[in-house]
Amino acid sequence: MKPHELAEFFHESLCIFDLTATNKHGALTEMVSCIGEKLQFKDKDLLLEMLINRESLGSTAIGKGVAFPHGRSLAIQELTVLFARSTAGIDFDALDSKPTHLFFLIIAPPQDRDNLYLQVLGHLVELIKSAALRKKLMEVTSFSELQETLASA
Amino acid sequence: MTSMEEQVKLLVALQDLDLMMKEVNDVDTSSEMKQMGFKLDGMAELHKARANLAKRIRPQLLNRYERLSKSYGRAVVPVTSNLCLGCFVTLPTSYPSLKLKDSFLTCQNCGRILYFP
Repeated sequence: MKPHELAEFFHESLCIFDLTATNKHGALTEMVSCIGEKLQFKDKDLLLEMLINRESLGSTAIGKGVAFPHGRSLAIQELTVLFARSTAGIDFDALDSKPTHLFFLIIAPPQDRDNLYLQVLGHLVELIKSAALRKKLMEVTSFSELQETLASA
Repeated sequence: MTSMEEQVKLLVALQDLDLMMKEVNDVDTSSEMKQMGFKLDGMAELHKARANLAKRIRPQLLNRYERLSKSYGRAVVPVTSNLCLGCFVTLPTSYPSLKLKDSFLTCQNCGRILYFP
């Protein structure tokens, strides 16, 4: 998967450039609410429950200020990717114990047979290892800038 | 006791959880996740969450879910555009309205429990 293909999974309506939440549960709730507002499905609480369960398996904040909350739920019908950012940083039980600033939430339906969500997740994890990219993502102010930044990574 | 609609929702949550545990138990998927840097050491927490969830589901419905899961892998399947996404048979357009009070719908072809997202 090339960076520009990866960038196409992002949508303008699924970007939160300034999360207001101050804790882990609040951040997940805010992100799921955003998805619930933009996409047509009735049970957003199922998504939240799945994400909370996923976090109890092990924090998805893998360090360097980045988290990838992810999982599969029958409540959603297509692969959905959301970008969120917290300038202040949130305690997301990160592996390096540092605050998390960048969030990439990835949710897929169980019937995602090609495991596209694992591919997207894997590519994002790989890209985000770049400190320069993380710095740029902390500075983007619009969706087009976000897409350009990811596409040119 | 919760409504049947709520009960089907609990089944969806249970199935999401079962799928998560299945992926952790899958050697290829879990090693891929670990290579990405994710820790997957909280299986005991997931088992606890599953037990708590299962307690809230009516025994008959839970038995049916377990039986269907054994046969098909996924017992609950979504319906989109009148299509059962378990067996891909088109359901009658009147299907959702056929649901009786305090009941749930199953696919007339494969018998899986239907969920309308």
